[in-house]
Amino acid sequence: MIEAHELTKRYGEKTAVDGISFTIAPGSVTGFLGPNGAGKSTTMRMIMGLDRPTSGTVTVNGRPYAEHRSPLSEVGALLDAKAVHPGRSARSHLRTMAATHNIPSSRVDEVIEMTGLAAVAGKRVGGFSLGMGQRLGIASAMLADPRTLILDEPVNGLDPEGVQWVRRLVRTLADEGRTVFLSSHLMSEMAQTADQLLVIGRGRIIAAGPVQEVIDSVSAAAVRVRTPRAGELADLLQADGVTISSPEPGTLDLRGIDAADVGELACAAGIALHELCPRSATLEEAYMSLTQDAVEYRSDLAATTSAATTSAATTSAVPEEGSR
Amino acid sequence: MSTTAVAAPVPTPLPRAVVAARPTFGGVVRGELTKLLSLRSTWWTLATTVLLMTGVSLAVAGSLDSMAADPSTAAELAALTGPVVVSGGFQLGMLAIAVLGALVMTGEYSTGMIRSTLAAVPTRVPVLAAKATVLAVATAVVATLGIALSYLATMPLLADHDLVPRLAEADTWRVFGGTVFFMVAAALFALGVGTLLRSSAGAITVALSVLLLLPTLLVFITLDWVETVVDYLPLPASGAFLGGGEDSLSAVGDELAPSAGVLVVAAYAIVPLIAGALALRRRDA
Ligand SMILES: Nc1ncnc2c1ncn2[C@@H]1O[C@H](COP(=O)(O)OP(=O)(O)OP(=O)(O)O)[C@@H](O)[C@H]1O
Ligand SMILES: [Mg+2]
Repeated sequence: MIEAHELTKRYGEKTAVDGISFTIAPGSVTGFLGPNGAGKSTTMRMIMGLDRPTSGTVTVNGRPYAEHRSPLSEVGALLDAKAVHPGRSARSHLRTMAATHNIPSSRVDEVIEMTGLAAVAGKRVGGFSLGMGQRLGIASAMLADPRTLILDEPVNGLDPEGVQWVRRLVRTLADEGRTVFLSSHLMSEMAQTADQLLVIGRGRIIAAGPVQEVIDSVSAAAVRVRTPRAGELADLLQADGVTISSPEPGTLDLRGIDAADVGELACAAGIALHELCPRSATLEEAYMSLTQDAVEYRSDLAATTSAATTSAATTSAVPEEGSR
Repeated sequence: MSTTAVAAPVPTPLPRAVVAARPTFGGVVRGELTKLLSLRSTWWTLATTVLLMTGVSLAVAGSLDSMAADPSTAAELAALTGPVVVSGGFQLGMLAIAVLGALVMTGEYSTGMIRSTLAAVPTRVPVLAAKATVLAVATAVVATLGIALSYLATMPLLADHDLVPRLAEADTWRVFGGTVFFMVAAALFALGVGTLLRSSAGAITVALSVLLLLPTLLVFITLDWVETVVDYLPLPASGAFLGGGEDSLSAVGDELAPSAGVLVVAAYAIVPLIAGALALRRRDA
């Protein structure tokens, strides 16, 4: 259980985390989402007692992290940057961590096996690939078999098997009743892994709750229609206050109307439908619309792409692909 | 386990046996010892320290013949004692050990390791205390080794001038003990500075400047207050309890009483460490 109350962190002028309050419940996987610079890593560092909150408090299992008698048994953390000396071997690194808590070296070997690092445990960490580094980070987070896990972008750099392994691992841990709090930028991954979501932008909470609820709260279910007479159908529907977008010529995504009504309407107008398909929004779509105002570091490429989509939508509203 | 496990990890069920974890200061010290000894650079630095100490004392011992032959340096030779020749290499050895002292802390910041360290020991100050303990012991061992090696290596050369340190004499042990004490203080000073500055380049620059550069440069300035300042720099202050040849830097500090010299050197070790501990507690990792 992680509880934050009015948690705030300022770095000079910059407010990285802006008075957020939340509770991360045990027994479930909570995904932590937000654009670059939203304050995810900062929040996690404050939970771990590494950065001192400017104001507000955060506790793990009832008290500030630093006040636990055996901190590593309470929280295991994988933080974003490699928190490892590159000159040391993976095994030595884990041993230094284990020694502080008098954890037997048999446990060090156990987490090495568990994370698939056995073959490289004696090699210097400096030569590790990104994924190997992540595995080592997860190994050290698991070292004391903690009740709470905090993983900052754990699947970043992992191969597909590794991604799947992390997914199953966090599932197992949550099912055992532990608290799992992880951040990621991979929405499809998050949709498969998380039960709960905490979405932040510019240091503030944008949305929180069970995954499906968060998705439903932003984007109503849509209906996808494919028809050669898309333009006519769009004109018909527009009158009823339906939101229409066209991802490609001849295809319409409709919001604010259900599939049955679209079918009836098209039939009455004599418009043949080649496809009629109710579609619930994906987490990615929900995330995009949740965070569109909170993105601080927007890439130019993204701007270009969205402009292109808009123009595609305009042209297809009047489907005259042939005339040009 | 074979490498296949890397390619296709199976979801390992969590070992249900509860992992016994019980943090103690002894554990933190063991952790720091593991850290120190598991880096190749540590061994390089420790070896360099011993070699510098032995090399310098050998060079001094080797030049005794020519000093004796030259009337202008004969007086100097007369003032030289065996223990001072044997431990004379510490002025270079301390530079290597100070670099190690700084890196013990700044290396954690430059690599990000500090976050793992402070996550494991969130009360923080025990980390610095453990580092200081481990560093002090390692330095004492290396300094002792350096002196022992110097003693053995220079023995044939010193014998010609009847300068072989007499192990039965208290003065011999005063100089040897003082040298070990000074080396430990230099290492801890650099550790304290490293904790305060967090940057390797900054900490090494400051530590080496205070230890060697400042006394070497300021000694040429004859203003009264500058001379006083120089007396209180670590190396000259060590002269108060180490003695040393007439033209050695240590000799500048003859102004201080031996006990005052010990206190000044100890202050260089302790004050930055305390300041570092306060900063470590307060700052973000
Ligand atoms: N030590 C620091 N000093 C100054 N500013 C910082 C520091 N750490 C973070 N920030 C700033 O705080 C903000 C939040 O950063 P943070 O790393 O928490 O974001 P994030 O959500 O983890 O982003 P990402 O998805 O890119 O990992 C950013 O604007 C960052 O520049
Ligand atoms: Mg981050």
